[in-house]
Amino acid sequence: MRASLRSASVLLTSALLLAACSSGSDDSGSGTAAASSCKPSSGPVTLTYTSWIPDLEEVVKVWNAKNPNIQVKVQTGPNGNSGTYQNFFNQLKAGNAPDLGHIEYDALPSFRVQDGLADLGGCDIVAKAKDQFVDWTWNQVTFGEEGKVFGVPQDAGPMAMFYRADLFSKAGIAPPTTWDEYAAAAEKVKAAGGYITNFSQSDINQFAGLAWQAGGRWFANDSNQWTVSMTDPNTKKVADYWQNLIDKKLVSTVPPWTPEWDNAYNTDKSWTWVSAVWGANSIATGAPKTAGKWKVAPMPQWAAGEKKAGNWGGSSTAVFKTSKHPYEAAQFALWLNTSEEALTLLNEKANLYPATKAGAALPALKKGVKFYGDQPIYDVFAQASTEVAPDFTWGPTMTSTYANASDGFKAAVSGKGTLVDALTAAQASTIQTLKSQAIPVKE
Amino acid sequence: MTVTETRTAGAAPPTAGRPRPRRSRHTKAVLFFVVPFGALFVLFYLVPIGYAIVQSLYKLERTGTFGPAREVFGGLVQYERVFSDGPFWSSVGRVLLFGVVQVPVMLGLALLLALLLDSGLVRGRSFFRLAFFVPYAVPGVVAAIMWGYLYSPNLSPFTALTRNVDFLSADLVLWAMANVVTWVYVGYNMLIIYSSLLSIPTEIYEAARIDGAGQFRIAWSVKIPLVMPAIVLTTVFSIIGTLQLIAEPQVFRSFSSAVSSTYTPNLTVYSTSSIPNFNLAAAFSVVLALATFALSFTFLKFTQGRGER
Repeated sequence: MRASLRSASVLLTSALLLAACSSGSDDSGSGTAAASSCKPSSGPVTLTYTSWIPDLEEVVKVWNAKNPNIQVKVQTGPNGNSGTYQNFFNQLKAGNAPDLGHIEYDALPSFRVQDGLADLGGCDIVAKAKDQFVDWTWNQVTFGEEGKVFGVPQDAGPMAMFYRADLFSKAGIAPPTTWDEYAAAAEKVKAAGGYITNFSQSDINQFAGLAWQAGGRWFANDSNQWTVSMTDPNTKKVADYWQNLIDKKLVSTVPPWTPEWDNAYNTDKSWTWVSAVWGANSIATGAPKTAGKWKVAPMPQWAAGEKKAGNWGGSSTAVFKTSKHPYEAAQFALWLNTSEEALTLLNEKANLYPATKAGAALPALKKGVKFYGDQPIYDVFAQASTEVAPDFTWGPTMTSTYANASDGFKAAVSGKGTLVDALTAAQASTIQTLKSQAIPVKE
Repeated sequence: MTVTETRTAGAAPPTAGRPRPRRSRHTKAVLFFVVPFGALFVLFYLVPIGYAIVQSLYKLERTGTFGPAREVFGGLVQYERVFSDGPFWSSVGRVLLFGVVQVPVMLGLALLLALLLDSGLVRGRSFFRLAFFVPYAVPGVVAAIMWGYLYSPNLSPFTALTRNVDFLSADLVLWAMANVVTWVYVGYNMLIIYSSLLSIPTEIYEAARIDGAGQFRIAWSVKIPLVMPAIVLTTVFSIIGTLQLIAEPQVFRSFSSAVSSTYTPNLTVYSTSSIPNFNLAAAFSVVLALATFALSFTFLKFTQGRGER
């Protein structure tokens, strides 16, 4: 036994030495990559692009046919927070990240803080494209800094209210236009045997969209340090509002994105969903029995007559710092996210709502949608898109912020604590997470 | 292990005088068998462990909000964080509670089933042997998803029950998962115990029967003591499995409001590495591995000590 222990310890120390050597060498490698220059490469180039957009290959095929010298290979993975981001982080650490990656706006700061993104600010073609994009989406990829661009905006998630027009009219309830009306309608819907909506315990980014509309701002970055304020008065107002609906049992609290949840929508239990433009597709696939019965109206407002919208989701096409061909990668990303042919295909295949100003006028987005009784629903979202406040900043460790807030939200819907408690705890643990990563943060 | 030691010790004196060439041929054979294993073991086991230990000793430093991070030696800083992390330690407590209840229940069942199969009381033995084992062939994640549906209040085929008893609530979800784990692993453990029962020489049973022992007496006084090593082995496996619980809670997170992102120690490691905070995640893993090792080792020491007495 003793002998085997000794040999094990010898092996272990040699392994340690080995590991120490390898980790030392890769550190020096990553340190040398300075501010990226953005020059065209000579000769043919092959780029790799990892994304979870369905049928992306079909879109890329069009590019590949036209650009024999810049071939793009698509790799698919799971939805960002379900695994692809973790893969990206691991690949960045191992030094074999793809050239391009699909990154949602709320995750961009995490990748920037890990020093994973190429700054495309030096690419003239990218800098020139600024005016093509909706202001707030451009802000998300530049972090509001001049001359820096960390990705090309791809799609946006302006929010509106999906509601069951048939059930509302049958019950004689007017579709709510303010949050007060929404709460009042919730009582009547409950009396009619349904729930006005399902409060999501794990879509913290949806809650962020609601807070965004109300004027809540969770993170601020003055370039010296971060400030975390997940319990600012505006966010608290939103949290108290939903807490009240939860306490009165006027909303259901089924875990979202489960068959149970689909079932609630499919069987007339849930009457509204305040969600993003891409949610149109989620309802259509999750609740097929309700075809033709839904309509879309602007988000309820905090004060009558206001015109403010929140945003939930939206993503960018980012170029990783390790890419050897940032110019070509940027060229492709711009084509993918600004050209009419690509945007039309992306909308057709994956229901993406473009982040460009011209995108709202795409013929595909002007048509009536059958599932919504032929209502041209994208007009509502186009309007909402112009009403999204441009100054919402995401923190650099959103994965952990979401997880922590969701732990608290889950407890709150099970009757332990409140949403405000959850946000308070999430703020504290976010600060803790930032500190453990040596990211300067105000306490 | 003790058996082989005594055997080589007994055989040692005659071989001592043998000529050398034989010995070197022996060494070659040993190398032939050991090197492939050793290389893989070092590459995929020891090196990753070593790398995790190294990672856990580093911390990050940076300047400014988006300044690039530098990895610098941090000593035991990450371990300080691990030991002051409340949710982590309460998750360790949770899996220990889980293990204290689930492991005896599961192994008790496995032993019972193995004894039943071995007793000759059951007809269609090979059918049952396979039938009990089938759940183990179902991947753990799939099993968890399946049970998640069965527990669901509105979609379960047993809604009459699940509407009234919320198996996914904070009070019950741990035991709902214990049920899934038991369902998957009972057959596997039964098979280990059963194969150990098969290796008991029949003369022992004959002797017991001549002494007037009935089926129960034989099971209690002959079979169980003789398969004790197998039971100890399955217990150690189960302790390790319990502390490393991740697939079931990860799947149940989407079904239940009660499963948090730090519900089990391994889930904490996973959540931490997806921040990504590799250094802290490595420290969590190292502490978890040491705890698992200590627990398994203590159990082995305890049971072996008792066996010798």
